Amino acid sequence: MADSICRALRDGALEGEHAPALTIKDNIASPFGFDVFSHVLSQLSSNILAGKSQSRGLVLVAFRRSPSFYVDFLKRKGVDISSSHKWIQILDCYSDPLGWKDGFSLETSNVASSCKNVKDVHKLLSTIIELGQGLVGQGKVRFSAAIDSVSEMVRHASVSSVSGLLSNLRSHDQVSSIFWLLHSDLHEDRVTAAFEYLSTMVASVEPLNQFGNGQRSNMNTFPLLEQSFAKGKFHVRFKRRNGRVRVACEEVRVEQSDVNFTSVSSDNGMINEGLIPKVQFNLQLSEKERIDRANVVLPFEHQGQMLAKLWTD
Amino acid sequence: MAAFRPRIGSFSRNVSASSSSLTPGLKHGPNGTTFISSGVPDLDKILGGGFSLGSLVMVIEDAEAPHHLLLLRNFMSQGLVHNQPLLYASPSKDPRGFLGTLPSAGSSKDEKSSKRDSDEEKGLRIAWQYKKYFDENHQSLDSNRDSKKEFCNDFDLRKPLERQFLIGKQIDCVSTQDSQNLVALHDRCAAFLSQFSRNESSVSVAGRIAIQSLCAPQFVHSDMEWDMLSFLRSLKGMVRSSNAVALVTFPSTLLSLSTSKRWQHMADTLLSVKAIPDEDKDLAKLLTGYQDMIGLLNVHKVARINTQFPVILEATTFSIKLQKRRFLVLECLNQAPIDGSSGSSYSTSGSCSGSSRTGTLDF
Repeated sequence: MADSICRALRDGALEGEHAPALTIKDNIASPFGFDVFSHVLSQLSSNILAGKSQSRGLVLVAFRRSPSFYVDFLKRKGVDISSSHKWIQILDCYSDPLGWKDGFSLETSNVASSCKNVKDVHKLLSTIIELGQGLVGQGKVRFSAAIDSVSEMVRHASVSSVSGLLSNLRSHDQVSSIFWLLHSDLHEDRVTAAFEYLSTMVASVEPLNQFGNGQRSNMNTFPLLEQSFAKGKFHVRFKRRNGRVRVACEEVRVEQSDVNFTSVSSDNGMINEGLIPKVQFNLQLSEKERIDRANVVLPFEHQGQMLAKLWTD
Repeated sequence: MAAFRPRIGSFSRNVSASSSSLTPGLKHGPNGTTFISSGVPDLDKILGGGFSLGSLVMVIEDAEAPHHLLLLRNFMSQGLVHNQPLLYASPSKDPRGFLGTLPSAGSSKDEKSSKRDSDEEKGLRIAWQYKKYFDENHQSLDSNRDSKKEFCNDFDLRKPLERQFLIGKQIDCVSTQDSQNLVALHDRCAAFLSQFSRNESSVSVAGRIAIQSLCAPQFVHSDMEWDMLSFLRSLKGMVRSSNAVALVTFPSTLLSLSTSKRWQHMADTLLSVKAIPDEDKDLAKLLTGYQDMIGLLNVHKVARINTQFPVILEATTFSIKLQKRRFLVLECLNQAPIDGSSGSSYSTSGSCSGSSRTGTLDF
């Protein structure tokens, strides 16, 4: 439900609550995470410009693409960028993240500021907050933050410091919402779990055909691969305020850098069996139990046969 | 004195009558243990009285739901209402902010008694307070009745805890985010627990430690699993020899499986909370009362101190509901076809099943 995600980010945080946080994750079999990320970005930007969202500004931390790419992208999407410096600031961690290019003057525009040391996570946090406050002032007005790829951040800094940055951003009074992109293949499960722990919505892009227990489609299914290249499943898990988890599923199609979400007609016929103990009486035997039952030797059943065996042996 | 009290079990402490009326907030348990309340009345009943002093209670969080915070809040509020010192550690930068979210006791009796106090003249009030300290047997009937009822309060999650319970009480807050290693937290716990060491035979005051999300990713050494395990082990030892209860919550999905198992073994009482999916038609058909449920609570282990007999519960899974959206109640799970009426609370029902495997000691 991409619309619900965009609406949740648009509505932002309630008073006294931490900001909603979205994790977008993908994997190698369905590498459309960036497309979803940019879709969410363009939606939020148009909401900010139209004044419909709680936040009045957006700070984008760009690790994977240059700021000019984002400016062009927003232009293509029809977002008005002539006044862009008033509502968007891009922190450029792409051009020179580790400060190797000394003396090389980077192009700066009124939307982009460069970061020369991405390893210093504290400095990064304060820069993001400064940029945001530069957009919206120091009062009660809020801004949103987007991180191009948390996977990139974790290459340079430890998971705990990046988690600290994200949770501090979430709990900051002036942050309305944040969202980030994560490539789950690049990390151990624990790292992915840590970022999902911090977020209130988890959107994952998965391939349409998953074999067995999540194995990726192998080389024998080439035709399938080509067909499903531009399509994938879009699962979202919302952590609602009442403590329940809302699960939704859609189909996502990527065509020529345009992203479409269509609802899926399939039903969620699975009961979450892991959740509840055997509350229901199950009078059917499973296959294994049937075989075991057939193998049981009852004490008095084969008496005659055993004796007969004794005589014949 | 001792002869008049019935003997429970083969070992029972000869407690004299005067100290059998403990300070409110403490209750005698079997085998010479003392209970303090968890803040949730149903949970106290399930655990057989409350949390035993000297036990380490651990709650496995679900990454998708904040139900562990409900347990934490009730635990902390109960301690403050009973004037028990509290040490609270959390991974956020400002732990004091969490104190603002603590619920207040919802029962009307408490409101009446506090109003009465403020109305009395100062002179009389002082006299009454002295009476409470020096002569426990001559407590007025009203306050006696209150103290008996007050062992566990029903907390109203919609009302914040009154200021009088927060000011002037001993509440220490620790933020675990910036500390480089666990030594600081360990020392704070040790200093706090030294006030409650078990020297005298009677317990005068009990302490509470609440640690939220011990292995949260913001915590600097969520990578150093052996260090955290040693911290837990040391905490367990310190708590066992003092009159305090430590409640630690942790998200087990963020730990490796073996580490998570080790942590679970460390606990004296182990609970876990789970989220439930929203608008799940299958679950709604399967369980009654699904509409009001916000989550599930599993009791994995119950502390038994000074005894070899384990506690085997009839049911281990309970649903967490908010009664009137205010009060936390735990109910046994009832399956829809057999019991069409709404679920009953733990003390009255015995009809539902927990796990299908019975304990090995069940005959």
